[in-house]
Amino acid sequence: MQTKSTEPIRMDAGFMKDVAERSGQMFNSCFHCRSCSGGCPMGEEMDYLPNDIIRMVQLGLKQEVLESASIWLCVGCLACVSECPNGIHIPDMMDTLRQIALEEKATIKEPEVVAFHQAFLDQVKRYGRLYELGFMTRYRMKSLPVLRDLPNYMKFFFSGRLNFLPEKIHKRVDMKRLNEVCNVER
Amino acid sequence: MSKGDRKLIPLGKRRICIYPGCSLTASSRDFADSLFQMARMAGMWVEELKDWNCCGASPAHSVNPEYATLLSGRNLILAQKQGIEDLYVVCPSCYIRLKESMHKLDKDAGLRDKLFEAYGTEYTGEVNVRFFLESLEPGDEEIFKGKMNQSLAGLNAVIYYGCLMSRPERVTGFELKVYESSIIKFVENTGAKVIDWGASSRCCGAHLAVSRPDLSDRLVDRILDYAKRAKANCIITFCPLCQVNLEMRGKAKDRLPVFFIPELAGFATGEVKALKWARRHLVNPLPLLRNHRIL
Repeated sequence: MQTKSTEPIRMDAGFMKDVAERSGQMFNSCFHCRSCSGGCPMGEEMDYLPNDIIRMVQLGLKQEVLESASIWLCVGCLACVSECPNGIHIPDMMDTLRQIALEEKATIKEPEVVAFHQAFLDQVKRYGRLYELGFMTRYRMKSLPVLRDLPNYMKFFFSGRLNFLPEKIHKRVDMKRLNEVCNVER
Repeated sequence: MSKGDRKLIPLGKRRICIYPGCSLTASSRDFADSLFQMARMAGMWVEELKDWNCCGASPAHSVNPEYATLLSGRNLILAQKQGIEDLYVVCPSCYIRLKESMHKLDKDAGLRDKLFEAYGTEYTGEVNVRFFLESLEPGDEEIFKGKMNQSLAGLNAVIYYGCLMSRPERVTGFELKVYESSIIKFVENTGAKVIDWGASSRCCGAHLAVSRPDLSDRLVDRILDYAKRAKANCIITFCPLCQVNLEMRGKAKDRLPVFFIPELAGFATGEVKALKWARRHLVNPLPLLRNHRIL
């Protein structure tokens, strides 16, 4: 585990309890067999492996966890869940960590992934369904590597695999009420 | 709508209610097209869940799990109101989201109250969420055998299940092992050859293919490499996102066409629309299909 040698390590004693309560997982039962890390498809790209994250949660290294790339790179493929001998649902833990990171406005290491999530949800909040063309153009305008995918999107569009107009649900007021109930903006 | 006043369907047909999911209305509409074609062949009457909404996919539960549960929950409420007992979900990701929402609502009374607050209907838990393969029994692949008049000999296929579909039943609620031999037999019945390989349930990068294409490239390249080493000339998939990722991502020069499994049934039964489906692929499958005199 990398730590900056000049700064003291800050530990948050209640962090594990907090995460455990919100995600419904028992982190005490993890004995670090690393089955999750071995099977993780994103393991190579992560700064901390899934079981490292659990260890850090156990130790209460809150800031390091919330500012890691790993929590955003987990795609929720459930490989770790099927491997874990103790039945810990790591993607649920990652969900909780992401949520805490957003709530506490921690520095986010993978801003593009967050922008993706938010652009996707914007479409859902507006139409109730995903409007792929609108989503792609909006999201792609925010992030740079547009040119690479342009030919593919053009082909999608001209072969009729993208709808020109959004598909909407009829009762869009449901989406509005859902936002109110969950206290989500817009 | 109550269970009594649903419209009549032709005699001898089975009514199947489907939750298609967003991608099946747009980028993977050929999947929907070919799948419904197959369902009709098996004597099913396919209906769409009326006014369904997006399940929230990965973004919703990544950012706000409660919102994700209630968003998927709306579909369960709709199914309940429309008197549907089994809701068949096509996309593996939608399936997991709806199933998880179902479990959470069953367990948590607080979430049920919020659901009521948002949509004004009490959640009763009558609706059962099922994966579309479950509308058939293992062994039902024989139904299609008699209707195939065009051999797909020459296709050396590897079957790519993707991550979510191949997870054990205790995690997802769907057991692939029950259907696996049936799926293989179905593909073999078309005349195509099924090759064993090691990457059938490796992850393709899912939504990171959009936000971090560089990471997804590596994963897809590895899957394609496995497929090529197994000497396959096409890949068969069940998931709309996997299909797009496998055709679009990766830096490999020689690409393999990636078919949805019901497309094969379309090719094998000489479906008129099959040529249209083939034309819409990002990796052009026509040279392969023409070489073996399939289309």
